[in-house]
Amino acid sequence: MESAELTAAAGSVSFEQVEPRSARASPNGRRPVVVEPDLRFIRDLSRSGGDSLKKCMQCGTCSAACPLSPDTNPFPRKEMAWALWGMKDRLMEDPDVWLCHHCNDCSTSCPRGTRPGDVLGGIRQQCILHYAFPRFLARWVSRPAFIPLLLAIPAVLLGLAMWYREPLGEALGVSGPGMDLIVYSFMPSLPHWLINSFFGFFALLAFIAAVIGLVRFTRGIKRSHVWGEDPKPVKGILPSMGSVFLKIFAHDKFTTCETDHSRSISHFFVFFGFIALLVVTLWIITGPYNPLIRSEFVYPFSFWSPWKLLANIGGLALLVGLLLMIWERLYFGHLAGTSSYFDWALVWTLFLVVATGFAAEILHLLRMVPHRQVAYFVHLVFVFALLIYLPYSKLAHMLYRTTAMVLAERYGREPGSHLKGLWTGHEVPEASKGPEGPATVAAVTGLAAAPMAVASMDETGSPPQAGNGGST
Amino acid sequence: MKRSTVLTEKNRIRWATVFSFLIILPLGLSVVGFVLSRGQETEVFLEAPDPKWEACYRDAEYMRYHHMDLLKDVREEVVRFGIRGGLTLAGCGDCHTNRDQFCDRCHEAASVRLDCYGCHYYPERVAERELERINPTLQGPGQEPTEIDPAVQDPEQEPARIDPALQAPQEGR
Repeated sequence: MESAELTAAAGSVSFEQVEPRSARASPNGRRPVVVEPDLRFIRDLSRSGGDSLKKCMQCGTCSAACPLSPDTNPFPRKEMAWALWGMKDRLMEDPDVWLCHHCNDCSTSCPRGTRPGDVLGGIRQQCILHYAFPRFLARWVSRPAFIPLLLAIPAVLLGLAMWYREPLGEALGVSGPGMDLIVYSFMPSLPHWLINSFFGFFALLAFIAAVIGLVRFTRGIKRSHVWGEDPKPVKGILPSMGSVFLKIFAHDKFTTCETDHSRSISHFFVFFGFIALLVVTLWIITGPYNPLIRSEFVYPFSFWSPWKLLANIGGLALLVGLLLMIWERLYFGHLAGTSSYFDWALVWTLFLVVATGFAAEILHLLRMVPHRQVAYFVHLVFVFALLIYLPYSKLAHMLYRTTAMVLAERYGREPGSHLKGLWTGHEVPEASKGPEGPATVAAVTGLAAAPMAVASMDETGSPPQAGNGGST
Repeated sequence: MKRSTVLTEKNRIRWATVFSFLIILPLGLSVVGFVLSRGQETEVFLEAPDPKWEACYRDAEYMRYHHMDLLKDVREEVVRFGIRGGLTLAGCGDCHTNRDQFCDRCHEAASVRLDCYGCHYYPERVAERELERINPTLQGPGQEPTEIDPAVQDPEQEPARIDPALQAPQEGR
């Protein structure tokens, strides 16, 4: 770090400008920085996609290449340093890990073949494990040895619920179907009320677990120093939520990717397919209480009903997106990133949900009676694995990433202008040339105004790392 | 991999709008249908039970959800074990006179194909006429109310009216 500081100083920065920052006890003034390498964390990270970590020489090309990296405290260079030092606490509190969309522009531009994109993916996995409640479930979900157990749990629970449905119904005050509107279940032994209450109960548990994880996570990332010394919100919480949801819907961040651009398309399909199926599911489970339904008959739908069409189109979109994802990961691993068990688990669980769902539908249309019910049971087991294990699987990114993006929006942590028109070869939009242009930001941070790829050198001299380097 | 031109920074909002529109379309159709049908009666699929007849084989709730199991059980008993004399489809038709109302409307709405009548005969017309004979003011459910034929009220006309109906060949379905 000594040399890095010197290099930074060799720019237009004088030593006096850097010194007060490096002399601080801690970048956020909370505690003195004593680096205690978490060796186990480094080992776990190396297993979950970060095996190239040790090659990093801290040049900072990655941060310069990243189209999503902000101008102040850019990533992923600092995350690579923290990971090398085993500074788990820092990484767990780092919102930038979740601003990364793993498009691997950094990995392909690394001069030493390090893959920061994959390392950040591994850190995200560790983050989900770190904040999960209860933690042992997250450990189970992240290990292949627990697949039989994790699938046996929903299978046994669902089987018990089917077996004891009569006493259960009495306990819940349901005698028979007991609804004004007619809802036929797919299986007579799994009536509508049983599926609703079974999944409702476990979804409630998962929801509580997710809220606990999210509260821990939000507290954690608010402590992070990347927001600056005295962060001031630039937006209200609701406007920032609104603009983040619009960004997620339009896949803003994904479409700026260069290297793994096709990730945006597969995610787009999976995202909208998932939402379509969610909307149809909500319509069906709330059907008996829905004032919009005017007939006595709620479910099943006829094949040409708009809801059925939406469900089938959504399922197909999900299938197409998933096949694209699998294809990318299998044949374009160098672009799509190293796929750990954690990544594959989500992709294949989703795939099996869709496959068993369509299998049940086709077997139903073929009137193969025991077969369609077996397929449906397996479908429900995988739906359980997808939805109830959500806070512990990679699907938790929808919670953590959204939270990090909302906070980043609130505190004005925008993608920097350092790359616009340079690295990607695109035109610079006029809007991004505002008062917050590269020169201004560099002046604020007390660093050299270097709009080209050599910006990496500036970043190396950014305060927190210099501070750590000094105390190590 | 070549950079795809399907989804780019320029057309991303268009694509997101199209997909979102597709997703809210069924909801929109449902709301429009609700608004248009405001003030109208809830559509009744099943015919109203006729108080004149005795209770069904099982209670209505059971029959509503499990008639298919019941019919399959009966089929099993008759075909495999030769136990006859229980429930018959023709017996259903004694009370549930109108197949359109009783079977087909639900089954069409749910896209569940009904193949009972590939072999079986549903004696709906006979039962309907029988009802009419007993109480001429009673109309088949779901039928347009027609003016009562004065001839029907004449007791002497009765046999002539029923017999041809009983013997008439069933209209093909």
